[in-house]
Amino acid sequence: MLDQKRWRLGTAKAIRLLQLLFLSIALWFIYWSHIYEMTYWNKTLLETFQSNFPNVLVYSILIIAVISLEFQSKRRRRISMAPSSVKTLETLQKENEQLKYELQRSKKLPSNKIGIALLIIGALLLFASVITSSTILAFIGLGLTFWGALFLFARPTKFVRSQILDATAISSYITLDRIMDDLNYKGKPIYIPPYPKETYLPEHLRGLKEMVVFISAKDYTKIPAIEEMAKKQFLVKNPKGICITPPGSALVSLFEKELRSDFTKIDLDGLYNSLPTVIMNNLELASNFEIETEKELIHVKITDSVYKDLYSKEQKLKSVHSIGCPLTSAVACALAIITGKLVTITKSNISPDLKTVEVWYQTVEG
Amino acid sequence: MQFPLSMSDISLWIAVMAIILLVTSELIYSHSENFGDFAIDKTRLRLAALIFGASFMVTVLLRVIAPS
Repeated sequence: MLDQKRWRLGTAKAIRLLQLLFLSIALWFIYWSHIYEMTYWNKTLLETFQSNFPNVLVYSILIIAVISLEFQSKRRRRISMAPSSVKTLETLQKENEQLKYELQRSKKLPSNKIGIALLIIGALLLFASVITSSTILAFIGLGLTFWGALFLFARPTKFVRSQILDATAISSYITLDRIMDDLNYKGKPIYIPPYPKETYLPEHLRGLKEMVVFISAKDYTKIPAIEEMAKKQFLVKNPKGICITPPGSALVSLFEKELRSDFTKIDLDGLYNSLPTVIMNNLELASNFEIETEKELIHVKITDSVYKDLYSKEQKLKSVHSIGCPLTSAVACALAIITGKLVTITKSNISPDLKTVEVWYQTVEG
Repeated sequence: MQFPLSMSDISLWIAVMAIILLVTSELIYSHSENFGDFAIDKTRLRLAALIFGASFMVTVLLRVIAPS
């Protein structure tokens, strides 16, 4: 056993010595055939390559030998382990790689490997073009560097499929349907505007700064007392009903963030101008978005909404028609904040192919 | 050792790249949906295109001010 170990150590040392020897000879060849000639005989790199072709061949073989010896020595080190544990380790490593790949695919995080590779190759070619004074190499180098940099620069931060959005939203709507069926509540959801963020409120009334939707037991437009809403209660007694956070409340904050303004500080005209841009261009939630006043109602027409599948008949969601999908709910929240009035969804119309969603909102004095 | 490309070469290269980027960004900007598995930050692509366009204008100005 001990002899075997000594023998292994001896061969490892011999391999290292061989590697060093080959490497030093290769370096000497490189120095002599290129650097020396370029320095003292004023030759270009291409000329030295042409005149020293056998040398180039020799040092290429030497460097290949050095690399293969390195691999050989690593393989020897692996053999020293028990064969069963090596197999387990390799299987685990493979599994680990596979899991990493699957995780990256599920996250859909784009890899930056291509960008980095292009950038490195481009930089090397640019350097080579300077040495060889080659215009073609310079153009290729510039092109590769440019595309590498562009791939890294225009890489999206995160990409989520729209089906995932639906899948995450459906369960909350199913829960809401079950609650409303169980409690037998038939009232229209009323969006109650919150107090502006800057307004000072005592600690016990802080709950009034949150946007809520009140669903009453019967169809009336009476809203709960301030005290009850401030307590952040779910079940409200007077009038009987439930208070929930609207599905689009987080989206409204995102709209404000994108617009870099507070909805309490803009008017309806401002909203009509800015909201389509945010929804279509900034957040890309729909391909077309129109908002206008129709008599006493506010009409919104959304084409190709990312939440359109929530309206499909297969889902059989009742609450999505009354309370709205996250996008239409966010519009209701924005209207409530801007007008400072109660907002209800009076009517919603969905095209059979689910491409267009039309919603009519009504503002009611509280 | 000298960089093999002249000012006019670089100017031409920048112009071609700027045109490619501007046309691409203009074509994909109006599409709200993604292109299969291909995802790109359209705003940044547009910014890069504009920077390249501006760079080309700078090179043209340089050639006008100081023709070699």
